Amino acid sequence: MKVPLRGLALAMAVILLSTAMPALAQDLASFEKRIKVETLDNGLTLIVMERPEAPVFSFFIHVDAGSTQELAGQTGLAHMFEHMAFKGTDIIGTTNYAEEKKALEKVEAAYRAYDLEKRRLANRDDAKIAQLEKAWKDAIAEADTFVVKNEFGEIVDREGGVGLNAFTSSDETGYFYSFPANRIELWAYLESERFLKPVMREFYKERDVVFEERRMRIESNPIGRLVEQFLASAFTAHPYGWAGIGWPSDLRSYSATDAQKFFDTYYVPSNMVVSVVGDVKADEVMQLAKSYFGRLPKAPKPEPLRTVEPPQTSERSVVLRDPSQPFYIEGYHRPSTYDPDDAVFAVISDLMTSGRTSRLYRSLVRDKKIAAAAAGFSGFPGEKYPNLFAFYAVPTPGHTPAEMQAAIREEIERIKTTDVTADELKMVKTRAKANLIRGLANNQGLAIQLATAQNRFGDWREVFRQVDYIDKVSAAAIRRVANATFVESNRTVGIVESTKMATAPAGGQ
Amino acid sequence: MRPVKLLTAALAVALSLGASSDALAQAKDWKEIKKPALRPFKIQQPTRVALPNGAVIFLLQDRELPLINGYIVIRGGSSEEPKDKIGLVDLFGETWRTGGTKTRTGDELDDYLEMRAARVETGGDVDSTTISWNSLKGDFDDTFAVVVDLIRSPEFREDKLGIAKSQMNTVIARRNDDPMGIATREAMRLGYGKDSPYARIAEYDTVGAVTRDDLVAWHRKTVHPNNMIVGIVGDFDAKAMEQKLRKALGALPKGPAAAASKFEASPAKPGVYFVQKDDVTQSNIRMVHAGVRKNDPDYYAIQVMNEVFGGGFAARLFSNIRTKKGLAYNVGGGVGSQYDHPGLFTLSMSTKSESTVASVDALLEEIDKMQQEPISAEELRRAKDAILNSFIFQYDSKQKVLNQQLLLEYYGYPKDFLEKYQKAVESVTAEQVAAAAKKHIRKGDIALLVVGKESEFDAPLSKFGPVTTLDITIPDPGASKQTAPAAGSDEGKALMIKAADAMGGAAKLGAIKSYRMLSTLTVKGPMGEMALEADETTVFPDKQRQAMKTPMGEMTMVVTPDSGFMSMGGKMQDLPGSQKKGMLDSIRDSPMWLGSKAGDPAYTFAIAGDAKVGEIDTRVLEISGEGIRVKWCIDPKSGDLLRTIKSTPQGEQTVDFSDFRDVSGIKLPFKGVIKVGGEDSGVFQVKSFELNPQIDDAVFQKPAS
Repeated sequence: MKVPLRGLALAMAVILLSTAMPALAQDLASFEKRIKVETLDNGLTLIVMERPEAPVFSFFIHVDAGSTQELAGQTGLAHMFEHMAFKGTDIIGTTNYAEEKKALEKVEAAYRAYDLEKRRLANRDDAKIAQLEKAWKDAIAEADTFVVKNEFGEIVDREGGVGLNAFTSSDETGYFYSFPANRIELWAYLESERFLKPVMREFYKERDVVFEERRMRIESNPIGRLVEQFLASAFTAHPYGWAGIGWPSDLRSYSATDAQKFFDTYYVPSNMVVSVVGDVKADEVMQLAKSYFGRLPKAPKPEPLRTVEPPQTSERSVVLRDPSQPFYIEGYHRPSTYDPDDAVFAVISDLMTSGRTSRLYRSLVRDKKIAAAAAGFSGFPGEKYPNLFAFYAVPTPGHTPAEMQAAIREEIERIKTTDVTADELKMVKTRAKANLIRGLANNQGLAIQLATAQNRFGDWREVFRQVDYIDKVSAAAIRRVANATFVESNRTVGIVESTKMATAPAGGQ
Repeated sequence: MRPVKLLTAALAVALSLGASSDALAQAKDWKEIKKPALRPFKIQQPTRVALPNGAVIFLLQDRELPLINGYIVIRGGSSEEPKDKIGLVDLFGETWRTGGTKTRTGDELDDYLEMRAARVETGGDVDSTTISWNSLKGDFDDTFAVVVDLIRSPEFREDKLGIAKSQMNTVIARRNDDPMGIATREAMRLGYGKDSPYARIAEYDTVGAVTRDDLVAWHRKTVHPNNMIVGIVGDFDAKAMEQKLRKALGALPKGPAAAASKFEASPAKPGVYFVQKDDVTQSNIRMVHAGVRKNDPDYYAIQVMNEVFGGGFAARLFSNIRTKKGLAYNVGGGVGSQYDHPGLFTLSMSTKSESTVASVDALLEEIDKMQQEPISAEELRRAKDAILNSFIFQYDSKQKVLNQQLLLEYYGYPKDFLEKYQKAVESVTAEQVAAAAKKHIRKGDIALLVVGKESEFDAPLSKFGPVTTLDITIPDPGASKQTAPAAGSDEGKALMIKAADAMGGAAKLGAIKSYRMLSTLTVKGPMGEMALEADETTVFPDKQRQAMKTPMGEMTMVVTPDSGFMSMGGKMQDLPGSQKKGMLDSIRDSPMWLGSKAGDPAYTFAIAGDAKVGEIDTRVLEISGEGIRVKWCIDPKSGDLLRTIKSTPQGEQTVDFSDFRDVSGIKLPFKGVIKVGGEDSGVFQVKSFELNPQIDDAVFQKPAS
C-alpha cells in the first residue's frame, strides 16, 4: 500500500544464462527439488519453496489485476481496493459485524444519493447536496462505532510480522510480509480471511488517505506531474494512459460498492497465485493452504482486456513549464512481455543503462558531461500489455532538455546502425546470470518472483528461462528491433522546461 | 471450532490423499491458533581476526549461493571536513573508485569488473568511508585485487573528480524541487543546527573548492589498517580466506589513528519555521528536537514508547491521524537514537494544504496524550510482542549478522548488545514508558517546520507562535566570493561625474535623504495587463515601504535593517532573506543614491563597452562598491542615464528610462520599462515625486500580529 512498483523484481531477474554456467544449472535443479506447486479445486495456485536458512518465511499473493482493469470513471480503484485489504474482515476489525453490516449499507445508500446529486450537471441544488452530505457523514459516524481500528495490521505486528505492505501497479496487485516460522497457520488464517470476506469499512476516510498519496506522488512532485501527462499522451486508448493512483474526479467519486464489485470480479482464486518461501515444510503448508484458502469460492477467471493501443502514427510531445529543474524523457511503443522479442528489449535496456560501462552513462555523463544520470528502460508503465521503452536523462546545471534529446538520439542511432560488440553482449549476458543468482538469496524477493512468473506465464520456471532467452539474443536482433521501434512516428516526448534554471557553476562540467 | 494442530494437519495429509480441500477444519478466530515454539536456531557468529597492524576482520561462511560479499569501513568521515569544503568526503567516496589506480584507469576497472559481473564501490559517510565489493565466488581473487589496488594506490584522476562534482552540483540545483526532501533536510538543520557536521549541506562553492590534492590528502590521512574493519560473507573456505586477507591487508603499514569524531550541535531555537513552496498541493510537516544515544539508560523504554506512538500500523499516530482522521498518507515518528551521537526526536507528516494547521494540532494532541495518559497494559504488551516476536528478523540472514557485528565493533558496543536488548525490552514497565515520554518528548523544545503553500492553509501558522521564514534560496556559484569587478578608470570616473551632473550634481543628490513617489505600475498578469497604483516611501540608505493596490487587496512590503515583511489582504509574513536583501540593495543601487557617490573612493567606475538603447549609442559604465554592483548605459553627449542593468536571482534586470522631468532642481526619469531575463516585466509611470518629505517612522513598523 506504500510503493506502487511495476513488476520490478521480475524485470530485474530478466537476465541470461551464459554458456559456461554450471552454477545456475545446479540452482535450477535444486530449485526443482525444493519447490512444490499445486492448484486447488477452486483454481487457486500455491507455490511453496523450502529455504530453511533461518526460522522465518515470507509470502506473496499475486493478483492478476491492476489499474488496467479499471473502467473510465473509476480510475484508481484497483489501488483503492488494495488499501481496503488492510481494513479487516467480518471477524477482524469489528465489535459487532451484524450491526456494522447494516450501518455500512446505510452509508452506501446515503453516499449514492449524495454523489449522484453532486455529479448532476444542471440545476444542482446546493442545499440538497449539503443535506445529503450530512446524512452520509452521519451514517459514517454510526458505522464507525463498530470499528476496531487497524486490527489486521495490529495482529501481524504483534505476532512478529515484518515488512507488511502491498503494491498496485498497472498490471497487478501484490500483498506481502514475513513471519517467524511458527506462525504459518496464523498466516494461512489471516491471508485467507483477508480475501474471503474483506469488509469495506472506513472506505471514505481511506479515500482521503489515497488522495494524499496522489498529492505526494503526482501533484507536489515535478516528475510526477510530467509523467502523468506523458502517459496520458502516449496512450490514447489503452488504460496504461492513466496513472494507477487515478484521476482526481474519480478519487472523489467512486464508492465502497464500486470497490466491492472490483474485488468480486478480480479477486477470484483462479486469478491469484500464493507463494511461500522460507523455513517451512512444503507438505504442511500445502495442507494448511488447502484447508484455509480452499474456502475461497470458485469463480471464473476474469475476461482478458479488450482494448489494444492502436499504432501511433505521429510524434507527440508534452512540455511542462515548471519552476523546478529540467528533465527529459522520450518513449517508444513496444510489444508486451509475451512477445518473442521481449528478451531483445531487456538486452537493449541493460546495454543502455547498467553501470558505468553502459552507453548512456559513457556518452551523456562521462564524455559529454551534460547529464548526471541517464537510462533506457522497458515496461513503462507495465509489461503485460504493449508498453513503452523509454529513455530519460537528468541534465547537470546549465544543460537543457534539447541537449539530452540530441545525445539520446545519437545513442539510439548508433544501436540502429552498428552491431553491438561481442564484449558488450557478453557483459550483458554475464551480468544477467549474476543478477539472477543475487536475487535468490532472499525469501521475500523469491516469493515475489515465483508467484509473479507463475501467474503471468503459468510456470515459475520462467524466472530461470528468461535467462535462456536473453542468452540467445544476437547483435542482429538488437539492430532489427531497434530499427523497428525507435522511429519518430512511434515516439512521445516529455520535457520539464525550467522557468528558473539553475546557474551553472563557473568551470563546471 | 477446534484449532488445527500441526500434528492433525500432518496426519490429515497422510490419511486423506486426494481428499477434498475442506476436509480439514479451520480456526474461526485468530486467537485460537496455536503457535508452536520456534525451532532452536543457533546464530552463527562471524570469526573475528585482529591483524598485528590493527585491521580487524570478520569472516562468516555462507554456502547457500556461489557469491562472496565484502565490506571495509574506514574511520573518519564528513564530520571532519573543513566547512568551506563541504562535500569533500562525498567526492572522495565517488572518485576513489571512478578515478582508478596508478596502473588502471577507472574506465578500465569498469570494463574489467563488468566482464565478471562483479562490483567494487566506494563511498563516504558522516563518520566513515567504505569500500564494498561482491562477485561470484570464482571471481573473488580478481575482484579483491582491485580492492587492494584501490587501498594502496588510488589515483583520483581529475576528470572523474569533475564528473563527481557535476553530479553533486546537480543534486544541489535540484534540492528544492522535492518538498519532502526540503522538509527532511531543513528539519535536520533545525534539530542539529545548520553548521553541525550532522546537518550541514554542500553548496556550489564548497564543492567547487575541493581539489584532487584534498582527496589524496584524505586518503593519506585515513586509509590505514588500524582504522579499518573488514567484513566478508559468502561461499568460501574460512581458513583459506583468512590467509588471503592476512597476506593482502597484513602487509599494509600502520598509520596515524583516526581522531574520534566529535559531536557538535547548536539546535535552532524552539518555535515555528516556515518554508514557502508554492508548486505543491500538500504541506510537509516536521517536529524536531534532540534525541538520544543507543546507550542511554532509557533506550529500551524509548523503543517500546516509539512502537506505541509512531511505529507500525497499530501505532497511535497511524491510527488516529491516518486511519481515523484521513489527514495523511505519511505520518509517523519517534525518539531517534544513534550509536555515537544523539539522534533526533522527529515527527513527520504530509497533508493537503487546506488541513495544515489542523494537522499540526492533531500531532500536538497526540504528544499531549502520550505525556498525560499512561499507556495501557494492552498497549504495553502489544508493543513488546511486536518487538520481541519479530526479533528473529535481526538475524535471519548471515549478511545481517555480519553487519550487526561490524557496527558494534565500529562503535565499541558490547558484542551481546542484541541479546541484552531482548531481555531489557521484556522488562520495560508502563511507568518507565511514561517517564521516558515525559523526558524525551518535550513540547517546549520542539522546532515546528512547515513546507508548503501558505495561501491555501486553513489558518495562519502564527497560531503556534511567531513564524520564522527560512530562506532556502540556493546560493549562486561564486556567492561566497564575488569575482573582482573590472578595474576603474579615469574615463569611468569622468563619465560618472557627467551622469551625476546631468541629474543635478552629486552634492544636490547627496542632499536627498528621503523621497515619496506615487506611480502607476503596469504589469502583465495571467488575466492580461493590469495597472496597479503604487506608493513608495524610501529613507536612504536602508528603509523602504512599498504599498500597492492589487485586485486581491492592498499589498505592502517593508524593509528596514531589522525586519522585512509583507502583508497581503491582512495576512502578514516575513520576507525571505533573499528578497529582503534584494529590496535593501535596490535602495542603494538607485540612480539617486549612486549619483551622489560620483567621485566617492569607496566606489569603482569602469567602462564596460558600448550598448544601443533605442536609437542612442551609449557607453556602459560598471559601478561597484559597498556590496553594490550595477551597470549604467549613459548617453555620452547629454550624460543622461538611459538604462540600468543588474543581475537578480530571476535573471538580468534592465530598466529603460525616459520622460525626464525636473523635481526641485533634480532631473528624474518619470517612465521606466522593466525587463527581466529579456522578457517584459512591467512599466512604471511616475505621478508625483516628493523629495525629503515629512515621514512618520511608524510606516516602517511591523504591526503586531
